[in-house]
Amino acid sequence: MFELAGAAVRLGGRSVLAGLDLRICEGEQVAIIGPSGAGKTTLLRLLAAGLPAAAGRVRVLGQEPACLRPPELRLLRSRIGFVPQDFGLVPNLRVWRNVVSGRLGQRGLLGALRSHLWPSRRDLLEIHELLERAGIEERMYHRTDTLSGGQQQRVALVRALFQRPRALLADEPVASVDPARARDLLGLLDRLAREEGLTLVVSLHDLELAREFPRVVGLRSGRIEFDEPAEQVDPERLRSLYRLEDGGGAA
Amino acid sequence: MRVSRWRAARPGPAGWTLLGILAAGLLAAAALGLGPRDLLPREGGGATALRFFRAALEPALDYEDPVLRERASQPYVLTLLLALWRTLAFACAAILASLWGGFGLGFLASSSWWEDEAGDPGTGRLFRGLRPAVQAGVRLLIGLLRSVHELLWAVLFSAAFGLQPITAVLALALPYTGNLAKIWSEMLDEAPAGPARALRQLGARPLQVFLFGRLPRALPDMAAYGFYQLECAIRSSMVLGFFGVGTLGLLLRQSFLEVHFREVWTVLYLVFALVLLMETWSGRLRRRWRLA
Amino acid sequence: MTRLPADLRLDRIRCLRRERPRLRGAGWTAAGVVLLALSGFASGELRFGDLLSERRGALLRDFLRNEALPPELRGEAFHVLAWLRWLAGVWTGPEAGGAIASLAIGVLAVVLAGAAAVLLMPAATRTLMTRDPFLEPPESAGRGAWRAVPRVARLFCVLLRAIPEYIWAFLLLGIFPHGAWPAVLALALHNGGILARLGADTLENADPRPPRSLRMLGAGRGSIALAALGPQCFGRLLLYFFYRFETCLREATVIGMLGILSLGHLVVEARARDRQDLMIAWILLGSLLVLAADLVSHLVRRAVRRQGLS
Repeated sequence: MFELAGAAVRLGGRSVLAGLDLRICEGEQVAIIGPSGAGKTTLLRLLAAGLPAAAGRVRVLGQEPACLRPPELRLLRSRIGFVPQDFGLVPNLRVWRNVVSGRLGQRGLLGALRSHLWPSRRDLLEIHELLERAGIEERMYHRTDTLSGGQQQRVALVRALFQRPRALLADEPVASVDPARARDLLGLLDRLAREEGLTLVVSLHDLELAREFPRVVGLRSGRIEFDEPAEQVDPERLRSLYRLEDGGGAA
Repeated sequence: MRVSRWRAARPGPAGWTLLGILAAGLLAAAALGLGPRDLLPREGGGATALRFFRAALEPALDYEDPVLRERASQPYVLTLLLALWRTLAFACAAILASLWGGFGLGFLASSSWWEDEAGDPGTGRLFRGLRPAVQAGVRLLIGLLRSVHELLWAVLFSAAFGLQPITAVLALALPYTGNLAKIWSEMLDEAPAGPARALRQLGARPLQVFLFGRLPRALPDMAAYGFYQLECAIRSSMVLGFFGVGTLGLLLRQSFLEVHFREVWTVLYLVFALVLLMETWSGRLRRRWRLA
Repeated sequence: MTRLPADLRLDRIRCLRRERPRLRGAGWTAAGVVLLALSGFASGELRFGDLLSERRGALLRDFLRNEALPPELRGEAFHVLAWLRWLAGVWTGPEAGGAIASLAIGVLAVVLAGAAAVLLMPAATRTLMTRDPFLEPPESAGRGAWRAVPRVARLFCVLLRAIPEYIWAFLLLGIFPHGAWPAVLALALHNGGILARLGADTLENADPRPPRSLRMLGAGRGSIALAALGPQCFGRLLLYFFYRFETCLREATVIGMLGILSLGHLVVEARARDRQDLMIAWILLGSLLVLAADLVSHLVRRAVRRQGLS
């Protein structure tokens, strides 16, 4: 599904990721953990074909983004649901309009205009069903900024699902909710991913929550420190993952 | 010791700015040969002022001219309302006309219409090579439209082919097109980029990103500015009456020149009421719009 | 997961749509604007035909071919250099003092407007005009006789700004028939109203902690405004000031059409003498002046932002 071999990313002249080897198979569920600034977001965007790699090989859904022409690249991206940390929703639009945007990558300009102005019955049915499964169906016609943070997160998730993606990537989905809701949200992600048979990759900064995932990848300063099943992750390695770069000095 | 006290008393950047502004004001006054003494009314100016302000207490509800009161073809109130309607209709027509130009030029002048995020591979846009030329040209056009005042456009048109209501509307529409295009393009560029980034990530093409990510995000601000411009257009449409178009300005000018101060006040009160109404209305709209 | 049948789901969607929270007013406003504009055309006041008629075309052609050309250049083939030389000659001629007068009127007017706004601003600030500013518990804030002060001040601002500059100047000419004061005062009154209102809004949105701590020390309203609110909002107020400077200059060029010496006066004079070429030259000069003011104001505002004053 996803395959990185020696991949590196530079942003604004700074090396963010370097020498990354990673393989994620169909249907897997992976948590990426690491301190802030470790490159989690960049890694997710690299997996979502949203960034060019400076070096190495990247394969997404069996294709190499670097070799694709723009239309093909857009089609590839439309097959990957990406939930950004800031949700990327237009706050002053109603919820269903934000969701219907999910299929922009699969529609032409006219089709997109039509789906925004006169949505088809099929679209509306699908959106409502997805919202229902995310637990916010009564908000379908509300303005998005009247929803709580957690609810907006769900809208962003539903928009990603409306893409009919093959993989779901979520960047820090629980950064802005309290711990009880965080577990709830991860449960929802897990459930929806299973129901749709999606590959799930989630970046987290909370170790405890990461333990629920069958596979955990530790990222630090743009490099993979470990990549193993949750139960095998050594507490000592975890601690070293979050060690401050210049805090102890001699450590 | 003395040095440090001098330092403490020396104005900082804010102080220098204020001093500079003050100096510019004094220089301007000197250039115009204006002093406060000229503000004392002379040659009967004081008496006129007194009479004018006394008339404020009893605005006219009928023609002040007794002949007109007898023979006028329509009652004063109707004349007033017709002028008010013309003022509003011309302003609305002008703003409606400038919306289109404002959108088109505003899109082309904004950077977000043209730009893709750096590092995005190959989302090439048609005519991308034309960007510098088109953007600079459009910005120049916007500057030209804006820099000529609507009253000067009106004078120019009246010289070129006579001032008709429709040419007055055109004269209003041109500078407002420039205003809308300029401010809207800035609003489009300043709108938060989060939604646009998300749409690009899910495979939307650049034009879609702009239409469904950027534009809706900026739309409430754009609408608020549009409403403000409508308010300005109503004021300008009023002033165009001074050039012979039948708006409130025409009534005001005639009444003042005929020393019918009570009629002048009626028009002024009407304008106050109109502006207050628009003020409260736009305030309410804005508050609802940013609800959350 | 039980799945609803499609028709039930559609009913539910329709119901949700019907009960959606609506934005009342926006639609009505748009409809009102469109209707008013259409009524102008429907009543025959506005006719597109006026723009396109044969006679008008002929007038326009005549204007462009003959009247708009300076007599010195008529008959010559179009020559950019000759044009520029002619324009430069007009602009540096004896009448060009009108341009300087416009500039001076604009500058003096905006300085006076700023001064008036500074005086009026605190009175229009709702957070400052309470019985015990910044220290009142929220439930009693904005009660009592003090509440009337900002209301009256704001109403006054609206009245000042409701009247267009041009009409202010026209009325003031009746009182001061000579000199440039009517133009300056007219611009200062209108823009003073706008600046006071914008400034009061800025003061209201300022961080309440510095003024609160000053108030705890027993400071009065004046010293709070001067020592706590003023410095905090200085940059933003400066931005507004230069933004209004732009508009002041723009208006100053036209206000001369009432007979006050400025570019506008030159424009109507040229028109009265049937010298359309000169008229266009003055309009162009005014346009350049406004563009230059735009540029200056843009640069100053950018500098203010860079300095982090706002």
